[in-house]
Amino acid sequence: MSSREGKRTNSSKPRHRAFPRTGIRWLRHLEENWRIYRSNPMGMAGLVLLALFGLMALASFIPPLIDPIYDPMSGVDPIIDTSTGPSWRHWLGTDFMGRDIFSQLLTGARVAFMIGISAAFMAVAIGTLVGMTAGYFGRTVDTLLMRLADIIMVLPGLLVILILSSVVGRLSIWNLVIIIALFKWAGVSRVIRAQTLSLSVRPYIEAARVAGASHARILFRHILPNVLPLSFLYMTFGVTSAILIEAALSFLGFGDPSTVSWGMMLQWVWKTGHMFKAPYWLIPPGVCISLITLSFYLVGRALDEVLNPRLRKEVLEQ
Amino acid sequence: MSLLEVDSLTVHYLTAKGKVHALEEVSFDLKKGEALGLVGESGCGKTTVAMAIMKLLAPNARVLSGKILLRGEDLLRKGEEEMRKVRWKEVSMVFQSAMNALNPVHRVGDQIVEAILAHDGSFSEEEAQKRVSELFALVGLDPNRMRDYPHQYSGGMRQRAIIAMALACEPSLVIADEPTTALDVVVQDQILGEMKRLQMDLHLSLLYISHDISIIARACDRMGVMYAGQLVELGPTQKVLEAPLHPYTRGLLNSYPSLRGPKKRLRPIPGEPPNLWEPPEGCRFHPRCPRASEICRSSCPPVVSLENGHFARCHRPRS
Amino acid sequence: MNLRLFVLVRSVQILITFFIIMTLLFVLFRLAPGDPVAFLTDPQMTEEEVALLSQQFGLDQPLHRQYLLYVWNFIRGEFGISFYYHRPVVEILKDRLPKTALLFTTATILYAFAGITWGKILAWKRGSLLDTSVSLFGLLTHTFFLPWLALILIWIFAYHLGWFPLNAMISPEIWLDPESGWLRKGLDILHHMVLPLAVLFLTHFGGYTLVMRSTMLETLREDYILTARAKGLPEKVIRNRHAAPNAALPVVTSLGLSLAFSINGGAITETIFSWPGLGRELVFSVSNSDYPLAQASFLLIAAFVLVSNLIVDIIYAYLDPRIRY
Repeated sequence: MSSREGKRTNSSKPRHRAFPRTGIRWLRHLEENWRIYRSNPMGMAGLVLLALFGLMALASFIPPLIDPIYDPMSGVDPIIDTSTGPSWRHWLGTDFMGRDIFSQLLTGARVAFMIGISAAFMAVAIGTLVGMTAGYFGRTVDTLLMRLADIIMVLPGLLVILILSSVVGRLSIWNLVIIIALFKWAGVSRVIRAQTLSLSVRPYIEAARVAGASHARILFRHILPNVLPLSFLYMTFGVTSAILIEAALSFLGFGDPSTVSWGMMLQWVWKTGHMFKAPYWLIPPGVCISLITLSFYLVGRALDEVLNPRLRKEVLEQ
Repeated sequence: MSLLEVDSLTVHYLTAKGKVHALEEVSFDLKKGEALGLVGESGCGKTTVAMAIMKLLAPNARVLSGKILLRGEDLLRKGEEEMRKVRWKEVSMVFQSAMNALNPVHRVGDQIVEAILAHDGSFSEEEAQKRVSELFALVGLDPNRMRDYPHQYSGGMRQRAIIAMALACEPSLVIADEPTTALDVVVQDQILGEMKRLQMDLHLSLLYISHDISIIARACDRMGVMYAGQLVELGPTQKVLEAPLHPYTRGLLNSYPSLRGPKKRLRPIPGEPPNLWEPPEGCRFHPRCPRASEICRSSCPPVVSLENGHFARCHRPRS
Repeated sequence: MNLRLFVLVRSVQILITFFIIMTLLFVLFRLAPGDPVAFLTDPQMTEEEVALLSQQFGLDQPLHRQYLLYVWNFIRGEFGISFYYHRPVVEILKDRLPKTALLFTTATILYAFAGITWGKILAWKRGSLLDTSVSLFGLLTHTFFLPWLALILIWIFAYHLGWFPLNAMISPEIWLDPESGWLRKGLDILHHMVLPLAVLFLTHFGGYTLVMRSTMLETLREDYILTARAKGLPEKVIRNRHAAPNAALPVVTSLGLSLAFSINGGAITETIFSWPGLGRELVFSVSNSDYPLAQASFLLIAAFVLVSNLIVDIIYAYLDPRIRY
């Protein structure tokens, strides 16, 4: 037993774990992975927070059913025409038009999940496909796709979306989701490509090729299951950045005017000059955006540890 | 008096899976100007011995008992600051060539200069530089390449640089841990020759650690064989190779091809080394030993000496 | 590869990237629905002005000629007239660029250095109370929503405590006063910079600290760290000379990759604090449908990011001899 080996056995994760773990094994070991995940208190905290936000999103349907004055967009309280502080009638007070802030906050959670999950899902789907294609076919295909990814990665996404909206006008929430996905696939594709490169020299891929399997079959039957866990991990990171882009865009006044989001709430409190007098309005949306970011980040980090402790960290930061 | 005396050293590692019995009652000595080799399979505790002498054991290692006397002073009793002065000045190391032992962002020469300046205040920067160029010449490297970075060196050159670094502070003991393992055979031969020559010229004491019995056979005056954390045989190289006392040593020799001797059938030792979380009762080798008897299963054999200076830890050594 | 060749190759790559971005922008504006003349001319302009601009940008010519003209106009710095300011766009940008550079560069240097230094210290003292508390603090500030943090800081430190100005870059009364020396003016800018810097610093510091901490922990397991210990070097030397420079390399890479992302935050910060920089001008011009200004400020920001990327690459090559030699 050498001292360095001794050190290694002591730490919870080995330095060189068999990389990559296969997707099928990953599913089979779901129970064990859950055990590893559960031992990470930060990851569990993230999961609990996410569950709370999920509850908020579900609860967002309730207030308008109680009384139309609680509708987050159109529900103006007839006896209130200005921003008021918390009360029994309005738990978090009302905004400048007398709309219920608590109800807006709940709807914000639903919108955040909708945007975050759909944009991240699309980004990861595109990124996985592009990354697999680039890594598997190599050569010109690889060079072209990765150059494209490089260009997208040096573009400041938020500002590009600003420019876009100056040309085509206000973006609806679903257009925004698509555009965010078009910006966020690049980072994912780099990682998936690297993974595919290391997979495609594996003997079993070689064997499949010799046995006459088509490119599509090799890509989807042999490579895809092995890169899916990584894609899944990147989805948790993608959700945050999509939520943040939408929030920032809404905050700057370029959001979809037909929905309410946390960023939009901050824009209202800022632009209507209430930020110094209505802390009950200023604080909740910001806390929500920050906490949802934190929770996805914590969940992602914990998943990262479960799936692959040696991932390059710098790409994860974006 | 011996330069180095290791006396019944016992080291455990505390791990999540339990206690690893890494070293058990290991004792040997090393005289001035002598080359001693420790041979054994990976995981047998060779490197732990080296790290214990340098006092660089992993944080989870616990030295349960024993002494490591360097010129009669127990290193295990020294504090961190005192030990820092012993390292490199008294005992230096030649690291495994496969290891990334040179820092990639610093010039090779500077990494040696740094060691000299850290231990000898009388050297100026220029004198240290001059000393390094002498050391480079001594180990057969071009002194003009002092200002190069490690990645610009070949594997063999890196190993020479590491040797030059080990000699920088004129230590009395050099520990060489697998000094030639990752090098190709020709370079391996050159490096071994170089070390032999330096040992003679500088009257160094060398502690070789290797899994390769042929290297130990070439380089060492005396050799020890380690198995599962114990030193099972110790004696003059010639004697150990020609008339091994311990069955494990014999197995090890039988499983090695000989370049010069007559062709022989290679016989691997059956079984696998034990896991050190729960080492076998009695003699640690008994599950794999062809000569094991009842006593071997129940009690740990003592160290016996059959001839002068030739020891074995065995109940039934070959007489 | 030597350093000069490396810089040359990267510069060419960056030029090509910029060219592609420029082309995409052209395509976006010319292929967008609506009259391209509308993107260049303001309803308030006289017929002659419209005619002059149309000719200058070749709107009456085929698309490929328009494109060549667009590139040529860019090269000679002709971006048209701002609808809002009624002044040449290039004049406005000349004034805005240094202000963005001042804020963004100062912030980047501050948080990168702080992140590397703290990450180094925390990894060295891993598991200590200091490690836990600073890591937690970094994690929290890292996830703060930037505009919200800015509003909160303004609310507390500018509105309630009155320590710093609410917004803007200078106090006009100081700059208009002929008595004011450069020191007074400099301190005035610094005073205005504190809050925007704090926002950018707090939202970035944590991320870099955590990355540095984890790469440092990995570096400490490297063989050359064992060599350094065996050489009997003092602990500080091992940490600062042997571990930190290696651990910082991936952090510098990450800095380069995140620049595009950070400039988004820079633009938001400028907007909230009315800092007269490029980012605020972009947000402003988009709200005002000031197309020439929006286009040009976007291109300039993209160029700024690309050049910063090049600088980060050069720093990386300087730190890592494996690239330099």
